[in-house]
Amino acid sequence: MISPLPIEIERPQPVPVPARAARSYWQEAWGRLRQNTIGMIAGGVLVFFVLVAIFAPQLAALITHQDYRTIDLTNPFAAPLSPRHILGTDDLGRDELTRLIWGARVSMGIGFLAVAVSLFIGGTVGLVAGFYGGLIDGLLMRFVDVVLAVPAIFLFILMAILFKPNTITLALIIASVGWGSIARLVRGEVLSVRSRDFMVATAALGARDVRLIFRHLFPNVLHVMIVFGSLYLGQVVLIEAALDFLGLGITPPTPSWGNMLTNAETFFFHSRSLATFPGITIFLTVLAANLFGNAVRDAFDPRLR
Amino acid sequence: MPETVLEVHDLTTHFSTPEGVVKAVDGVSFSLEAGETLGIVGESGSGKSVTALSVMRLVPRPGKIVKGEVRLKNRELTSVTEAEMEEIRGVSIAMIFQDPMTSLNPVFRVGWQVAEPLFVHQNKDRPSAFVEAEKMLGKVGIPHPKERSRDFPHQFSGGMRQRAMIAMGLTTMPSVLIADEPTTALDVTIQAQILDLLRNVNREFGTATILITHNLGVVAGMCKRVIVMYAGRIVESGPTVDVFAHPKHPYTWALLKSIPRLDADERQPLRPIEGIPPDLIDLPSGCAFHPRCAFKIERCRKDTPSLIRVGDTQMAACWVTQSGTELKDA
Repeated sequence: MISPLPIEIERPQPVPVPARAARSYWQEAWGRLRQNTIGMIAGGVLVFFVLVAIFAPQLAALITHQDYRTIDLTNPFAAPLSPRHILGTDDLGRDELTRLIWGARVSMGIGFLAVAVSLFIGGTVGLVAGFYGGLIDGLLMRFVDVVLAVPAIFLFILMAILFKPNTITLALIIASVGWGSIARLVRGEVLSVRSRDFMVATAALGARDVRLIFRHLFPNVLHVMIVFGSLYLGQVVLIEAALDFLGLGITPPTPSWGNMLTNAETFFFHSRSLATFPGITIFLTVLAANLFGNAVRDAFDPRLR
Repeated sequence: MPETVLEVHDLTTHFSTPEGVVKAVDGVSFSLEAGETLGIVGESGSGKSVTALSVMRLVPRPGKIVKGEVRLKNRELTSVTEAEMEEIRGVSIAMIFQDPMTSLNPVFRVGWQVAEPLFVHQNKDRPSAFVEAEKMLGKVGIPHPKERSRDFPHQFSGGMRQRAMIAMGLTTMPSVLIADEPTTALDVTIQAQILDLLRNVNREFGTATILITHNLGVVAGMCKRVIVMYAGRIVESGPTVDVFAHPKHPYTWALLKSIPRLDADERQPLRPIEGIPPDLIDLPSGCAFHPRCAFKIERCRKDTPSLIRVGDTQMAACWVTQSGTELKDA
């Protein structure tokens, strides 16, 4: 015998109106970036190196009690973990850790400066070219083609001969090539945003060109610049280290991760650690920049994942 | 007699393309009186939107106004400088667009965008501009305007976005509002709400409105006067009642025959307009409509008719009706 099933009528619960927080495009992207563990770790590594760069003198004073110029010819090639020298010393007995800490200044300084300058020039050129189109677009983009066609390494050598490379000039030299790619990317994005109705609608309410470009177009293409910027940071650090290594960049006595490798190569058979530590820092920075860049890209465009 | 706010005379806008010159707007003249709603109807590509953009001087490249006058309260708009035009757009004339989904900038809060004309044109400080924007959002029927003005466009529905667009156009109290197919992208119930809103705006603010649409029903419900465009020219104009009851141009006649009516004989099939819209680069000789016209006479192939008075209240550009023939079912 089948007993009748007890029938329970489920009454609909009154739906509470969820408190909606108005989240902007940026907040949404930040929310997605925060979910990305690898991206956040990579970002943390970058922040760490930036802090090291900013507080290099304090850190050196606090941890190693050394100056990067202090030469101690009585104690060259000290092994890592030797007394007073956590990472050992180089051929002139200078403390390796102190020099690495100061080297972060060069890498991070040039890295961020070159990225900022590239974004500024490339972004402006891309916005203007894409917005006005026609002859202005043609001229600017052909100029970009020319810039991108010049072999970069040749330009770097030439510039290194013409100007004495220091942090600022070297950043500008690297940026003088880097802005071309971002100009192209931004222009492409501008072309697609430009054709949307809100640009005409904003023009129809009487906004000037400058307002249209920088107030309305710029925030709509900024994500392209942020993604490019974070990926490009890794490249710049690598380029800068390569130039230092070749002697075309920052030259001793100012320590940089690149020129520390130059020395390390000469004395490779005396001390492997001299090559290892700057190598690790360069590797970590570039890897962190790339992973962080990828995470930022995923955060802005979840479809790409 | 009501004052004329906008007078367009012989407006001609051409697009130079590699394939030839597209005559998008070809000698269009009309006037708009204070407080009235004027309908412009026509199929896609008949030059309705380009007419509106020409009035705003926002014709996209490679389009160019080649001749004609646009007078806004006795100010000639085709010859003022771009800087002066920027002070006219959004102050004296506002425009709202077809697709509310793309007409708002996705990165700014709705309230900010509605307030933007105020800080562009009136140098209002932010807080008071925002308060005014909130008020305006309330007036166009956004519930909880104070909270909703902090929202981003993606949090608004299509109808709400169109309301926001209308609010944006109205903040500066323009004397002319051009609505370019404001309801085309919305579903039917929302269409009715938006049209109601436009009607209220017209009554409350006395804004003269140009309503561009391809929906004859919308025109019938909204506009006292209507202009019918075909291939960049006005083919008929007059009071909506008369134009719809006794069309004086075969195109209007055919257009009315092609839509269902509640009061029509239900056994009679709908009649589409034969043929395809003309190529605007290579227009047919004479009257542009003659290849598709059921009433054509020899003269239609040779000469282009001009828009003259036919009947008591209407104007039509048609040799057949100008010679006194009534348009009747063949």
